[in-house]
Amino acid sequence: MVRKKLELQLLLDAIYAVSGYDFRQYNQQSIMRRVLHRMRISNISTVSRLTELVIHDEEFLRMLLNDFSINVTEMFRNPTFFQAFREEVIPKLRQLPRIRIWHAGCATGEEVYSMAIVLKEEGLIERSIIYATDMNADVLKKAQKGAFPLHKMQAYTKNYLHSGGSEAFSKYYKTDEKYAYFQPCLLENITFAQHNLVTDQSFQEFDVIICRNVLIYFSSDLQIQVHRLFHESLAPNGYLGLGDKETLQFTPLADDYNIVNQTERIYQKK
Amino acid sequence: MFKQQRIGIRFKIIIGYIVIICCLIVAGIVINERVTGLQQERNSLITYDTNMRVMSNNLERQILGMESALHRYMITEDEAFLEPYYQGLATWESKYHELENIAGNYSEGRHNLPVIYDSIDSWITQVGAPLIELLEAEATEQMIAIFNSKQSSVAMTDLQAQFTAFRTGENQAIQEQLQALDNVNKELTIALFLGIAFIALIAITIASTISRRIVGSITEVTETTSEIIHSSGDLSKRIKAGTNDEVRDLVETTNALLESLEKREWLQKNLAEVVTSYQGISSMEELGKVLLSSLVARTDSAYGAFYIQNQEDKAQFNKVAVYAEKSEDTSLLSFRKGEGLIGQCVLEKRTLKYENIQFLETSIGNVPLKNGVLIPVLFEHETIAVLEIATFNDFTPHEEVLIEEVVDNLGLTIDNILGRMEIIRLLNESQVMTEELQVQAEELQTQSEELQMQTEELTTINEKLEERTRYAEQKSIELQKTQKELEQSAEELLQSSNYKSEFLANMSHELRTPLNSILILSEMLAENGEKRLTEDEVEYANVIHTSGKDLLALINDILDLSKVEAGKMEVWFNEMDIYELPQYVERMFMPVAQQKGLDLNIQVSEQLDAVFYTDIKRLQQILNNLLSNAMKFTEHGQVQVIIDPANVTSKMKNYSDTWLAISVKDTGIGIPKEKQDLIFETFQQADGATVRKYGGTGLGLSICREFSKILGGWITVESIEGEGSSFTLYLPSLPNGVLKGMTQLPAPNQQAETAGQIEQTNMSHMFNNKHVLVVDDDHRNIYALKQALGQKGAITIEASNGLQCLEILQSQQPVDVVLMDIMMPEMDGYETMEHIRKDLKLVDLPIIALTAKAMKQDRDRAIAVGASDYISKPLNLDQLFSVLSVWLTDKEHSRNG
Repeated sequence: MVRKKLELQLLLDAIYAVSGYDFRQYNQQSIMRRVLHRMRISNISTVSRLTELVIHDEEFLRMLLNDFSINVTEMFRNPTFFQAFREEVIPKLRQLPRIRIWHAGCATGEEVYSMAIVLKEEGLIERSIIYATDMNADVLKKAQKGAFPLHKMQAYTKNYLHSGGSEAFSKYYKTDEKYAYFQPCLLENITFAQHNLVTDQSFQEFDVIICRNVLIYFSSDLQIQVHRLFHESLAPNGYLGLGDKETLQFTPLADDYNIVNQTERIYQKK
Repeated sequence: MFKQQRIGIRFKIIIGYIVIICCLIVAGIVINERVTGLQQERNSLITYDTNMRVMSNNLERQILGMESALHRYMITEDEAFLEPYYQGLATWESKYHELENIAGNYSEGRHNLPVIYDSIDSWITQVGAPLIELLEAEATEQMIAIFNSKQSSVAMTDLQAQFTAFRTGENQAIQEQLQALDNVNKELTIALFLGIAFIALIAITIASTISRRIVGSITEVTETTSEIIHSSGDLSKRIKAGTNDEVRDLVETTNALLESLEKREWLQKNLAEVVTSYQGISSMEELGKVLLSSLVARTDSAYGAFYIQNQEDKAQFNKVAVYAEKSEDTSLLSFRKGEGLIGQCVLEKRTLKYENIQFLETSIGNVPLKNGVLIPVLFEHETIAVLEIATFNDFTPHEEVLIEEVVDNLGLTIDNILGRMEIIRLLNESQVMTEELQVQAEELQTQSEELQMQTEELTTINEKLEERTRYAEQKSIELQKTQKELEQSAEELLQSSNYKSEFLANMSHELRTPLNSILILSEMLAENGEKRLTEDEVEYANVIHTSGKDLLALINDILDLSKVEAGKMEVWFNEMDIYELPQYVERMFMPVAQQKGLDLNIQVSEQLDAVFYTDIKRLQQILNNLLSNAMKFTEHGQVQVIIDPANVTSKMKNYSDTWLAISVKDTGIGIPKEKQDLIFETFQQADGATVRKYGGTGLGLSICREFSKILGGWITVESIEGEGSSFTLYLPSLPNGVLKGMTQLPAPNQQAETAGQIEQTNMSHMFNNKHVLVVDDDHRNIYALKQALGQKGAITIEASNGLQCLEILQSQQPVDVVLMDIMMPEMDGYETMEHIRKDLKLVDLPIIALTAKAMKQDRDRAIAVGASDYISKPLNLDQLFSVLSVWLTDKEHSRNG
């Protein structure tokens, strides 16, 4: 076990040194599971072998990094979150002349488009800017396309309807045989950028930060570090939206936020 | 102090009332008397007046009667008429006296009455009496004379006047007296009013005096009381009593109350202070210390000690605090129940006092104390602590009460503190447990996150797998399709190729026959046996011959190729000696090489088995083609032939254990990378310029490839433009010839390159044969939709209302998606959808509601009753097909390939 840990540590050090991606503070069990997964697939017997490949084989490194980046997302994922956002946060945002939203860890962008749709329906899209960031450039490219597999669209439609959407969902997309392509006008106020929550600093002040099901992959120390980053980046009275299994409760920043909606994990900076 | 005579309020009030009542009685009596007197006087006056008038009139009338009696007699001379005269003569004097009698009270009348008497008397004596005498004497004339003398009438007139004067006088006197009486009456009235006023005055005076005295003292008490109230309970003030009455009682009682209150307040204040002083204390030692210092200070005591029951050994009491102790061992550190006085105190559960006695058993050493108490602290009828306090003086009663009260409360307090100590201990324990819980909660949180993460990871893997499966499925479908198409086209091709090959074979044959004669004849001409031809003509014949030979070679090539393509190439696998190959090459190409000035280098590996099974003729043909190409495209340098055993992969091993790799390398013009695939195609060379420069049909390499396939092998090419090419022929040793399926072995460098290509698909065929149920009461709408859907290949089923829709759905007709209008007669869209979901239990059937307006409540209602999605009218066809494609796509897999 100690050896495994050491091996993993060396691997993550190597990845950081070679690629600049810092997974050293990620949830170790999770990273370990993914490393083991890769080893099983590629038929590699020890983590150290993997480290060797990471150092010498760029293609392999890219593949491993892809394994590390988990990009599970849906449009209007947890529809009640979006409903709560509509009902409890949007009215407050209405008073702002300009709404800056940071979607940290946006993955393939489903939730970013969802947010854009919510803002559009609430008539706020023109004065909003959504910064959608992820550390994975590949998924950002996908996100920018705004094309989502057709076979997922039924579920997305259901989510949209549950989230309190006020239009026909089909208004927002066109289809071909494989994909639904979302209206380019939704993209107008979205800026996609590569940003690594672990190594990069705050880049602006925001009124809303959405970071859902990203922190669960981090160690608690790293979670606190990222929460600090969010706190620095939030304007006074700015909102923070987390995933439904995430909480501010055990972090030192719990007292710096008011709870807006406990079940949907929406907090407001004091 | 001067002791005032006690006069009660009741007494004062009664006195006042009595005085007023007496005054009223006196005044009543006086006035009554006066009124009665007046009344009597008036009555007697009125009686007198009446009597006086009656009597005087009677008298007057009697006298007048007497005179008239005389007259009647004289006229009639009847003596009977004289009777009234005699009667009057006998009584008039008594009547007069009677009158005189009643008039006696009134002086006025008396003065006139004698005159009347004199007049009557004189009339009787001067007229009456003579007349009677004359009468008796019957002297009528004289009598008449007397009458005639009028003496009598004059006397009568005078008499009447006198009576009148009398009555007038009397009347006047009465009037005067009545007047006087009226005056008296007025005075009396005035006196009455004055009296009433006087009494009222007295009453007011008495009332005000009494009320002032009563109210005054009460006010004083009230003021003092309110002063006490306003001075926020300064109970040291006392009320002074100004009077000696019930108010004084009140004052004294109040003062006594104040006194008692003051004491109680002192008690309560001190009790509260003592009690509050040990609030929040959570240890017995501290409690003892605080209790003793506060209690001793408040009772002017000199010494104190506090013992608490041992929690483990209930009979044991330990000292927890002591006050004003010189050294630790002055007092007992602990004692047991029943030991000494203090122990007795515990046993008896009652306070024990001692005076001027030094008890060794008490905790007090040799200090001479005047008074001491040992007080058991009880809780639930059990002694749980003992307090000892001693003083140099006597305890005042309220000090004693204070101590008692403090001790009364102390039991509960000690129990509370014990409880609190227990609570604190438990709290600490629970804090530890809370922290533990917190840790566990965080661990749980982490675990839940991990679970979520694992789920996501699994989902990712799943998705990837799904995607792969989908991709593979799609590919396999595509492949199948392509295969079918290929099979079909291959068949067609085969057929057409057969025709072509047959045609070519025939053509070649037909061509060869005339060509043969041309060749032979031109050769003969060129030989110029008869020397009749000019040199030019010989040259022409040579050109004809050469061209004919080229043509023949071309025709042979075409024939070979068409034979291969038509599958008519015959192959004979025979044993051959590999080491004969170099000789063959040398023999065939050394002259050409020498002619072009090229090195021809042949290397054969020594590891080869000499025996090799293949079709030698075809192999030679391949080598011929490769070498002639190499010779053709190489100007300088060398052409190399290398014969090696090939690296046998597992796949290759399936065909044969022995493989040859024959490479033909040159230093020629080379082939550009992008053309390397093309050169094997029929009639292809690297480019047009090559043809012009080097000639040739471009069939050579095609033939090589086809032949190598026939022999169970393949050819690869490596080339760098301008530096040379290297063609390698891989060939298996096949003693039994080519077996079925062998030719399909793919060349290693010919991997499928289509993977990863995203083909642009036309989505129209995803609607092919899809059944769309359109429910709308407007036939124009249905018609329009039918047209649009028909263009995409979908099949439209019509229903003009909800009932029809339900019938269709019940009829087992296949329906892939429903387009449901909301506003319909018979049964509207909402109801229909509800029936579909609830009664027909078609839970997964996609229903797209068509609403006239994009009203949120319409939409919400449609979704609530079971619509999968909704789209608003007027319909946008793009949007309609987008929605349909979403709902016609299977959720899990995209099968519409």
